[in-house]
Amino acid sequence: MVSIDLTYLMGELEKQELEAPNGVASPQAYEQLLAIYLYKNDLCNAKYLWKRIPSQIKESNPELGHIWSVGQYMWKKDYPSIYNALNSVTWTETVADIMKKVQESVRDRAIQLISQAYSSITLEAVCAMTGLPPDSCCKTCIDRQWQIESDSKIVHPVLSDAQSIGQTSSEDQLYKLTDFVSFLEN
Amino acid sequence: MPLLLSNTMAQNAIEPMQVDAPPEDNDNNEEETYIVENPSLDLEVYANSFTGLAKLYRLSFIVDHCPSMRLEALKMAISYVMTTYNVNLYQILHQKLAELTSSMCVPDVAVTSTSQDIPVIDNMWMETRSKKAALKLEKLDNDLKNYKANSIKESIRRGHDDLGDHYLDCGDLSNALKCYSRARDYCTSGKHVVNMCLNVIKVSVYLQNWSHVLSYVSKAESTPDFNEAQTQTKELYQVTITKLKCAAGLAELATGKYKSAAKHFLQANLDHCDFPELLCPNNVAMYGGLCALATFDRHELQKNVIFSSSFKLFLELEPQLRDIIFKFYESKYASCLKSLDEIKDNLLLDIYIAPHINNLYTQIRNRALIQYFSPYLSADMHKMAVAFNRSVSALEDELMQLILDGQIQARIDSHNKILFAKDIDLRSRTFERSLAMGKRYQRRTRMLILRASVLKNKIHVKSPQRETTGQSGETAVAPGTSSVLLARN
Amino acid sequence: MASPLEQYVNTVRSQTTNGSFRELVEYLSKTNDILQKNSQHLDNVLETLDFQQHSLGVLYLLCAKFTYVTPAGQDNRFTQAQEFILNCNGEQIRLVPDVFADLCHLITKYLLEIKQPMRGINLMRKAIFKLRLFDSQLTSIHADLCQLCLLAKCFKPALEILDVDITGICQEITSSHNGSQFDAKYFLLYFYYGGMIYLALKNLDRALYFFEVAITTPAHAVSHVMLEAYKKYIIVSLLLHGKEQPIPKYASHVVNRFIKPLSQPYSTLASAFELNNTSELNNILTKHTDIFVRDHNLGLVKQVSSVLYKKNIQRLTKTFLTLSLSDVASRVGLQGPSDAEKYILHMIEEKQIYATINQKDGMVIFLDEPDKHCGPEVLKELEKELCLCMELDKQILTMDCDIQVNPQYVRKSTGTQDDEQPTKSTYAM
Repeated sequence: MVSIDLTYLMGELEKQELEAPNGVASPQAYEQLLAIYLYKNDLCNAKYLWKRIPSQIKESNPELGHIWSVGQYMWKKDYPSIYNALNSVTWTETVADIMKKVQESVRDRAIQLISQAYSSITLEAVCAMTGLPPDSCCKTCIDRQWQIESDSKIVHPVLSDAQSIGQTSSEDQLYKLTDFVSFLEN
Repeated sequence: MPLLLSNTMAQNAIEPMQVDAPPEDNDNNEEETYIVENPSLDLEVYANSFTGLAKLYRLSFIVDHCPSMRLEALKMAISYVMTTYNVNLYQILHQKLAELTSSMCVPDVAVTSTSQDIPVIDNMWMETRSKKAALKLEKLDNDLKNYKANSIKESIRRGHDDLGDHYLDCGDLSNALKCYSRARDYCTSGKHVVNMCLNVIKVSVYLQNWSHVLSYVSKAESTPDFNEAQTQTKELYQVTITKLKCAAGLAELATGKYKSAAKHFLQANLDHCDFPELLCPNNVAMYGGLCALATFDRHELQKNVIFSSSFKLFLELEPQLRDIIFKFYESKYASCLKSLDEIKDNLLLDIYIAPHINNLYTQIRNRALIQYFSPYLSADMHKMAVAFNRSVSALEDELMQLILDGQIQARIDSHNKILFAKDIDLRSRTFERSLAMGKRYQRRTRMLILRASVLKNKIHVKSPQRETTGQSGETAVAPGTSSVLLARN
Repeated sequence: MASPLEQYVNTVRSQTTNGSFRELVEYLSKTNDILQKNSQHLDNVLETLDFQQHSLGVLYLLCAKFTYVTPAGQDNRFTQAQEFILNCNGEQIRLVPDVFADLCHLITKYLLEIKQPMRGINLMRKAIFKLRLFDSQLTSIHADLCQLCLLAKCFKPALEILDVDITGICQEITSSHNGSQFDAKYFLLYFYYGGMIYLALKNLDRALYFFEVAITTPAHAVSHVMLEAYKKYIIVSLLLHGKEQPIPKYASHVVNRFIKPLSQPYSTLASAFELNNTSELNNILTKHTDIFVRDHNLGLVKQVSSVLYKKNIQRLTKTFLTLSLSDVASRVGLQGPSDAEKYILHMIEEKQIYATINQKDGMVIFLDEPDKHCGPEVLKELEKELCLCMELDKQILTMDCDIQVNPQYVRKSTGTQDDEQPTKSTYAM
């Protein structure tokens, strides 16, 4: 739902920029577009958007710079700094919602990555990667049924199998199979 | 010109002026200046196994690489060279000797005691020898002219051969080669052709022109009369065939094709192995045995080497090598590799195999490692390291290389130091492969379709046209580019 | 209004009403001098013509305006051109694709001069839609679009065009100049710019494809575009495949003879990379920095050196089941275990390797690809790929069919004696 809205907004903003007189869009449009790219983890496009924003606009709208600094840390995969950059600024209304979602999506990806890449990891590292304080971090871990060794503070993540099952009708498959066979026969 | 030739041997394998030599000859000769400290070679016996330039080249090689035998080898070489007309080589050997004696800071006493048997350069001998050589050359030349005037084919052929022999004696290889090759036009029987081929092969080996060697070997083997003649002179036939096999083996060895080298050497026959101008039976055993060890699989080794009645005789000459091969076959790798190390020093003094020793040894080791692991699902690397005289970490590196090359299908558990055979999921792999194949097909077909329309539209980059000069050329230089080249992250 | 221009307007009007466009084109192609001489009055003429109805007449006027008029004060050229491209009659302008494309090149040039490439992106897209007959047809305006996108640093709009594989080329007959049907320059530029756009968006596979097309373009002379494309081709193939991909055999001999020697530093870079030699690679990097900077490739070259670490780690995954982080670091030449952990983490995230890190013991466990190729997703993917292949196969068959029925081909393949009976030989096929 949210992501559909943002995708739509992204398309609109991109169109706005292309149709803007002199090729320069409004600072708000730039801010929102940049934030959406970050939310989508589309760092390439974010980077080039940042590069093409005229410098006067960057100067008069320091918030743009703040958004991009989040992007830069995402580029470097420097998790503690990402959360730091996200939370050290109070975002204006234009982007506050989107930036909140940026944080959520970064955290979700981090958790996913931890479960994939680690068989054991220190609690400290989990905190750093999720940007959560230790106690709520513990809770997140337990919610996911990750074991925590209480003495050594080592977390054992469990790989969650998120399998999407997209079932197609057997009729459809039969149809395709016929297609393939007739292709191969000829 | 003779000077050039002596260079050939002095520098062993590298001969900068030699254009014909295939470049791969030089690949293994990077470590030119290694030194062998403790050979167990009996120089006297070794030298006596060879004649002619083979003896001189081999001795010179030892001179260059073994300080402890340098003096003795030089003396032998000098005394032998005095039986030939090779004045140039004589000079070079003496030069080396002079360098050696001046660098030896031996006490006075020793100098006096040894100085007696250190030969002194004999300018008189050189002069007379050169003169004699020139005289003989003139005579042979005249003879040949006479034969030619009388156009007696057989005599002309012999005349060329004699002249070639003489040039060879003088160390003038390129002229020798010319004369021997010219005899070709006057050959009247298959025997003559084979003889001519052998001569050319010999000189080509001295010149290290291996492709030449191989082509003349096949030329000789395909001479029609040669195969028929075997019934009459079986003895001679056997000798010749062994010579040809040895020369071919040598050429393959020198160009790094160890497997075919081994196959050639294995066809040699000890009773008819008489080719002191190139190599001795011991060489055949060593070259053939090592090449076989490095390249044959277990079954081939058993069938062609261990159970080969003819090669068995060669192996008797080199008992150490025989033991090595048997130990390898019995999977006693540690002692096998140890013995290999023991004979390494001597091998490093052999002009032809020395450049390939490291390659051959690595291949033998790898083969041993592969063979060792082949029956296991998992192997303890500590035990394996013991079996191969290696530290565990060195073994790990070796195995890593083998795995990367795809020679061992396994993976290393570095934590517990265990080597696990890799089980390959064929089904998965088939999926991967077919998907990759599909992607490749799509890419190539797209490119093909595009290219078809490119050709249809006759798109091609032309030279900038003259009339549009003034600006940068229309097609050759696209001015737009430089302004757009973006600096990347 | 001067009389030649009056005549211009009258001719355009009358011929358009008659529908005799070919004659009109004939006439217009000779009006260049008139328009140049009367360049100060062009705006008046434009007012008398309708963009939609008299597209041909307006097109020639606008071209002349961009070429000969240096505006003083208000410059309305762009707005006029924009209005024209949006409203013009596609059928009319397709009669003179070269002039229409020229107008687009002129607009592009103008936008570059005033440094507002962003404004042209949408316009060029529209222009392409007007000119091309089918989606996969290449026009020389494609190159303009890519250039504008690159300069504006705005790539998304170009992707829509770039993602469609070209199967045909618009015949822009420029008989007036060099007689070439489609200028190789624009062809090369499209694939070079396109490659760069894909490169910027890190779609290496596509980038390599585009550069490969550029370097295999038939050539009798060295083109700078090809040279630059070749350099990037080497780098991208290192980044993507870990080794220098061979140049296809059908590439022009120019590539091997001239372009290769001109790209020496890149070849040495590639060979160091292929030997997995980190230190040698960095040596080359410092040694040739000037050249890489000059070619604007330094950023890419630096990526190559960081990819080498990854490649070496990948090699480790093939040989080891477990390895300590510090061993990983020392084997690939990284500073320490924490660096190694960082690299491995990135690679896991990008699905380049399958491994799990055990922070407790400081070990990494390398796994096989967990994808066992079962389940409906795999089936779906297979179906998708199969469809693509079948589609392509059909295309090839159609092309083959076209050739088989081409009278010229038939005549050639059946030999000259059948010349008098071409129909018969067609049946024989």
